[in-house]
Amino acid sequence: MAAAISIQGLTKKYVDVWQKQEVVAVNNLNLTVQEGEIFGFLGRNGAGKTTTIKMLLGLVFPTAGDATLLGKPMGDNAVKHHLAYLPEETYFYDSMTGWDILDFYARLFKIPEPERRRRVQICLEKVRLQPDAWHRSIRGYSKGMRQRTGIAQALINDPKVLFLDEPTSGLDPIAHAELRDIVASLKDEGKTVFLSSHQLADVELICTRVAIIHRGKLLTEGTIKDLVSGDFAEVVVQGKTLRNGAIDKIKLLAPHCDMGPDDTLRITLVDEEKINAIIDIVRSAEARVISVVPHKRTLEDVFVETVRKEDGS
Amino acid sequence: MVPLAIARQTVREALRRRVMWIFLICGLFLIALGPVFGFLSPKDSQTVLRSLGLAAILLAGLFITIVTCIYLIPVEIERRTIYTILSKPVQRYEFVLGKFLGGFAVVFINIAAMGVVFLLMIRFQEGKVPPDMYKGVFLTFFQMMLLAALTIFFSTFATPVLNFFMSFGIFIVGNLSSVTESLTTSRVKATQIAGTIIHYLLPNFGNFNIQNTLIHPTQEITNPDVFIKQNILYALIYSAVLLILAVIIFDRREV
Amino acid sequence: MQKAIKVMPASVKKRVAPLSTLVVVLLGASALLQKQIDPTARLIHKGEQNLTTVSGGLNNEFMLLPLLGFREAAAGLLWVRCDEFFHSGDYDAILPLVRIITLLDPHAENVYVTGAWHLSYNFTDSSERSDRRYIAPSEALLDEGILNNPEIPDIKFEKGWQNFDKIKNFTEAETTLKDCIAGPRHDETGKKGSDDFPFAAPLKTLHLLAHTYEKQGRLPEALEEWTRARARTEKIRDEDKAANKPENYSNKQMWFAERHNYDEDMQRYHNRYTTVKHDAINPSNPPLPGVLWPTGPGISPQPWDVAFLPKVEIKRAKVFRISGRFNSADGARIDVRITDWNYKDRPLVDIKNSFHPNMAETILVDSCSVRKGKFDREMDMSKDPKMYSFSEPDYKVVLSYNPRTTSPHLTDRYGWSGEGMKDANPDHVYLDTRAPLLGTAYIAGQGATGPVWDGVTVPWAEHTQPIRMIKVTYKVSRRQIMGEEPITDKDIVPNSE
Repeated sequence: MAAAISIQGLTKKYVDVWQKQEVVAVNNLNLTVQEGEIFGFLGRNGAGKTTTIKMLLGLVFPTAGDATLLGKPMGDNAVKHHLAYLPEETYFYDSMTGWDILDFYARLFKIPEPERRRRVQICLEKVRLQPDAWHRSIRGYSKGMRQRTGIAQALINDPKVLFLDEPTSGLDPIAHAELRDIVASLKDEGKTVFLSSHQLADVELICTRVAIIHRGKLLTEGTIKDLVSGDFAEVVVQGKTLRNGAIDKIKLLAPHCDMGPDDTLRITLVDEEKINAIIDIVRSAEARVISVVPHKRTLEDVFVETVRKEDGS
Repeated sequence: MVPLAIARQTVREALRRRVMWIFLICGLFLIALGPVFGFLSPKDSQTVLRSLGLAAILLAGLFITIVTCIYLIPVEIERRTIYTILSKPVQRYEFVLGKFLGGFAVVFINIAAMGVVFLLMIRFQEGKVPPDMYKGVFLTFFQMMLLAALTIFFSTFATPVLNFFMSFGIFIVGNLSSVTESLTTSRVKATQIAGTIIHYLLPNFGNFNIQNTLIHPTQEITNPDVFIKQNILYALIYSAVLLILAVIIFDRREV
Repeated sequence: MQKAIKVMPASVKKRVAPLSTLVVVLLGASALLQKQIDPTARLIHKGEQNLTTVSGGLNNEFMLLPLLGFREAAAGLLWVRCDEFFHSGDYDAILPLVRIITLLDPHAENVYVTGAWHLSYNFTDSSERSDRRYIAPSEALLDEGILNNPEIPDIKFEKGWQNFDKIKNFTEAETTLKDCIAGPRHDETGKKGSDDFPFAAPLKTLHLLAHTYEKQGRLPEALEEWTRARARTEKIRDEDKAANKPENYSNKQMWFAERHNYDEDMQRYHNRYTTVKHDAINPSNPPLPGVLWPTGPGISPQPWDVAFLPKVEIKRAKVFRISGRFNSADGARIDVRITDWNYKDRPLVDIKNSFHPNMAETILVDSCSVRKGKFDREMDMSKDPKMYSFSEPDYKVVLSYNPRTTSPHLTDRYGWSGEGMKDANPDHVYLDTRAPLLGTAYIAGQGATGPVWDGVTVPWAEHTQPIRMIKVTYKVSRRQIMGEEPITDKDIVPNSE
């Protein structure tokens, strides 16, 4: 598969004029996004996600590094015919109708009539915007309707690569689900989606691969499956008699043990097959097994761990 | 096609600005006041109508132009509507050109509206419209067009408030073309150099001020048509300079 | 404040040099174009210069920065305000306002003309006497208007008219009116669009000039002027006829008036110049002296004794009663002038200082008509304390009779220089030799040495014939004007300028 987006050493620095301090927004980012995948780009607020996207689209200029989009250098005007961007907090010209806005953007792609009219209609239908709202002023649109219009303008040129920044933020559950499905369906059309989002449940559901950046630095990257691997179980046992050598035996099987108050021992172990052996040791020590709980790791867990680990170091 | 689409959008947004309508209505009101002075002698009322009308067009045009054009680019950046434009295959120069064309169109609409009312008032009062009056309105349009170009150029890097004062300030200095011209022949070398730089490098808005000759027809210009053509050409060339400078600056602007 | 550290794309860097070059080329082109525009712009702005000494000849932009292209509108609106002030009687505000208006728009010709008219004629006291303190500012305003608008005849005409009618300075009137007629485009090729021909002097200018010559006794020149005016009217009538336009009765009346005036002046010319046959043409009993008849002991007939016997009384504080006898036909008027003792007429050519009249001055100029040899008139100066402040200790009351400014039939009788009249009291006869008031041509054939009046040969050169007038001057104190002491003949002092 060819790379839709290829980023090498992309860096963006700012200098604080008064304090004469350098601020690094994006730090030597290296990333590749294959064609046809939905790529999740995760990070805290201010991590550098939007700055990265803006550099790729030529809205902001890098300090160092390079990138290609569909084989063309970033900022190249011709390749923009195949790109689309839905910014976070989309603003439109409020006086215009949904139809007019799409028509305007279609003109920017030099799409002639009657093709322009056809495309506008298709895009509005695709995002499931009610037809009676098409010719109403955007000022009267709800948040969901605005987001739909935003996605519609991103689809007007039938792009190959879409940059979506928080497409489902602030939506009600139903609109949220609908828009998520729309984004997911883009993969089926062979489009590449570069998705920046805080909705980790959505990312886990629809993305092929994700990357996590923090303070401009790429921390980790990989498929969802690889990142969230590492299920574990938690066993809670209790008993004074545990102190008579049982704990030492248990630690051989599961190094992560925490003795809490009331002689309660919490054991975390990855290898579920050792659970039986531990239970045998506990019963031999005439202690009690309080609970055995299997834990499945989520993307959120991965995200939090990764970021905290970086902050700790 | 792309600059025209942006220009069309610019005009649409600019015409929604309430402050523009306020100045336009004030200008129209002042012009319409002209015949009220009909109680004066015919000569006086003609003078008052012409002077008030031309001054109203100039004054209202000045504020409409500056107040509208200072926002054309900054508001797009502030509201982030520019993201969805520049992320599309729109060259930065096309965007700037579209803004310039939109700005000129807004100026044209406003000056034309006031011009029509002014000429109607003249017709109503004097029975006919002297051809010179058309020239007055025409030249005012090109003067404002040049001002629009200047304001939009400043808007590529300055905030609206700063832009307002810079544009207004240069408009005032540019109107002192008779003063700056006299400085070019000063015996003091430093004054001469400064005067030459200001007179030939800054836009000369004073070229377009021929109100006195229109209000008092006894004052004549030799070759008026040549003078007008020269001024129009000057406005077009200088606007092109400002457009190119705006493109150079905006090419480097991060949004 | 954060500043981005960025590397520009190659495509952007590539564009800079050619674009910058284009900017330089276009700026150069605009500079060259500006150089071509400058000469015409200079002419326009020069025309807008206020050329008076008040502004030091500086261009208006130096002083009126904020107003820029709105000067004319501001001037127009202020003029409307001025008109309101006039109608409301707020005269004090008018002069400063007119100054501002003409400073804003030096080409507001109507402001000069109407403003000057207001100043000279319409600032009046309760008895409709105009305030003479404003004559100098009025003239200065007109002079400023002429300086700023040398091509416009209207302002020159107004100045000519004021000097003819108000100031009675016929020399100045003549100079101004001739200047008006000779204007830059005297051949009427200028644009027509205002009430009169905007460049060429209107017909009324020729008429007024003819009357000015009449007042100066220069009848040959008056006759020439009527001939010129009539030729112009005939040309207009002929053009209308050739264009098959209907008869314009106004032009027709004009032609008749010009012919009448010509005939009348011809009659007066014969009366004056045919001295030898004077008695045959105008027999009278006893015979009246002809014009320029010599006077003096032993010469007969003697000039007419007007037997001037004036009386000045104070009826109550600041209220004068001017009465007396003047042995003349009806139509004569005795000029009355009451001023501060040290009052001096402001020089009328000094623009800079003339705009600030001294409001503490007291001056009244009026006249009494003579009926059946008597005159009697009350002059009440008590109702207008702002105009007549009486702030000085002493005042001059001058009663005079000027043969040049009197009615034509009396001028014909007494002569342009008063040579045909006398007074039994020789102190009442005064020879006024002030330069501005001179200007009658000497009569050909009368001799270069001048006439003999009162036994004295008066030397003269061309255009320097003095005025022999009847005059009595009183010096009165403030106490007398307040009625605390009477005014008697003991207060009469020798006549002076």
